[in-house]
Amino acid sequence: MSDRYPSYGAVFLALKEMRRALVRFGLLMASIGLLVFLILFQQTLQTGLITSFVGAIRHQSAPVLVYSVDGRRNLQGSIITSDLQKKIVAVPGVGSAGEIGQGSFSVTAGSKLTSAAIIGYQTEGLGSPTTLVSGRLAHADGEVVALASSAGDGFGLGDTVVVQPGGLKLRVVGQATEIGYQASPTLFSTYPTFEQAVLAANPDARAALPAVIAVAPAPGTTDAELVARINDAVPGADAVTRADAVASTPGVAQVQQSFQVIFLLFGLVVPLVTGLFFLIVTLQKASSLTLLRALGAPSSALVRSLLFQVSLVLVIGIGIGIALYTPLSSQTLGSIPLSFQTGAVVLWSVVLFVLGLLSALVAVRRVLRIDPIEATTGAGLGR
Amino acid sequence: MTTVGQEQEQEQPTRPALEMVGVRKVYKMGDEEVVALDHATLMIGADEVVALLGPSGSGKTTLCSIAGGLLAPTAGSVVVGGQDITGYNAKRLAKFRQETVGFVFQSVNLVPFLTARENLLVVDQLGRRTGKAARDRADQLLEELGLADRRDNLPSQLSGGQRQRVAIGRSLMNEPLLVLFDEPTSALDTELGEQVMELIRTEMKSRGTAAVVVTHDERIVHYTDRTMHIVDGVLHA
Ligand SMILES: Nc1ncnc2c1ncn2[C@@H]1O[C@H](COP(=O)(O)OP(=O)(O)O)[C@@H](O)[C@H]1O
Ligand SMILES: [Mg+2]
Repeated sequence: MSDRYPSYGAVFLALKEMRRALVRFGLLMASIGLLVFLILFQQTLQTGLITSFVGAIRHQSAPVLVYSVDGRRNLQGSIITSDLQKKIVAVPGVGSAGEIGQGSFSVTAGSKLTSAAIIGYQTEGLGSPTTLVSGRLAHADGEVVALASSAGDGFGLGDTVVVQPGGLKLRVVGQATEIGYQASPTLFSTYPTFEQAVLAANPDARAALPAVIAVAPAPGTTDAELVARINDAVPGADAVTRADAVASTPGVAQVQQSFQVIFLLFGLVVPLVTGLFFLIVTLQKASSLTLLRALGAPSSALVRSLLFQVSLVLVIGIGIGIALYTPLSSQTLGSIPLSFQTGAVVLWSVVLFVLGLLSALVAVRRVLRIDPIEATTGAGLGR
Repeated sequence: MTTVGQEQEQEQPTRPALEMVGVRKVYKMGDEEVVALDHATLMIGADEVVALLGPSGSGKTTLCSIAGGLLAPTAGSVVVGGQDITGYNAKRLAKFRQETVGFVFQSVNLVPFLTARENLLVVDQLGRRTGKAARDRADQLLEELGLADRRDNLPSQLSGGQRQRVAIGRSLMNEPLLVLFDEPTSALDTELGEQVMELIRTEMKSRGTAAVVVTHDERIVHYTDRTMHIVDGVLHA
């Protein structure tokens, strides 16, 4: 009988103590909740920020992008001459290839003058957006797919966007999520539409050169192999996989590094706060724990009681954090659309729970060190 | 349900509650050795209430700690209710304390964040878990000790005398064979002290439970069956 529910007594003790020190435990749970909220919020902000900068690259269909070396992995700086293009396309292992052009334009949308990025691709499947949520891809001249989150700014389905100067009319025929580029409203069109926009805005331009060549490997060649071959064979070409193109876009790594420092600090603060709190509480109730040990309570029961408290505090604290985060995660912060990130929530919950539990081991060690004889002198532990 | 009976072979109720033979306790403090208890030999009957009288520092607490399985003697043997605890390790001693002896310590006796009733129940909850039997026993003890209306009070809401009564109730929760009281009246004024001693005697006698009451107060011996004197670690039975 005594071993059937061995934890019940420990839970009893843990809950009684918490109930009689509600303010103290409540404050701890609120603090953990706030920290968890801040971590999740920053994580979402980071993702939102990066997505609004390079979502267009992440969510386009070409597996490999070839920049010019002096373009520094920046669509705006990279120009592919027809000579370079010929050499790239000739590399063995290239299955298919297509031009991608990009430009930043002044446009009138929803009767307001604003700026927008236009990305034109020559071949569907090599640069077309992959996150279409309504409408269809652009096929004919003057058709574009717009960033869904900019719909309210005159880029909604069926809206007409006018390139200024020049007056080229673009009609939104589809919407895709997370295809922002450089935090601007972004439009994906066919290559001819892109060229028309360039020529309309700047009549002196003779042609619109592509910024990158999108390539897909031939059967039997991997993306990485293709990247290596192009870089070996063509001086002046800078081939990267889609994921690397995202990560190495100027600014992205810096943003990630800054956020990582913040995450590291938060990730340390949560277990530190938890560990210190329970250490202090354990020291404060040392005489009670000594008494219970003297009366024959096994130290394992006292440890279980402590660990139960730690777990409960962490679960509730993390729960508070998620509860605060959930409504905020669906908002738009400035021009950056946020989204509830299940992966981050699960990951941070597990990481913080485990770290918090580990941090309580200092307090556990204190409990295990109690010498019951000290109940006879009232000295308690802590020497 | 039998609680402590089986191991102690209670079919022989006349078995002494406590037998100590040649018990010695030496504390080492750096190079120095303090002999706190020397060649202590004693026997306490199954329902005897004995006073242990001696000046401060004479070894009273040390003797009780050894008898209650809180402290291992340097030499000698300790048998409680027929159970020889001399060679027990820490874990077995904890189980022994939980099942066989009752304690009222000199200083801290109650957990401040538990009510009077919860203080009675907590050790059972953390150990044997007899459930309803324990709850009934706690309520009965609180009633007997005149604390029925105080059962849901925290220690901080109780007077010194009431706290001491809760401690006495707590010491009886596990139906012990032997209860060790370490200066139970030292923190109380004379009148309260006498009330508490009266209560201790009544509770022990009505149950036929043996007790050692440690004191340096001569007046307490009126409430006990017998007095043992201790001076400088030497027992004069
Ligand atoms: N943990 C200890 N370490 C060293 N000496 C101790 C310790 N506990 C008690 N003593 C010494 O042993 C002697 C007896 O102490 P104690 O049993 O507490 O006496 P009493 O309870 O009669 O006041 C005293 O001289 C005391 O200083
Ligand atoms: Mg003493």
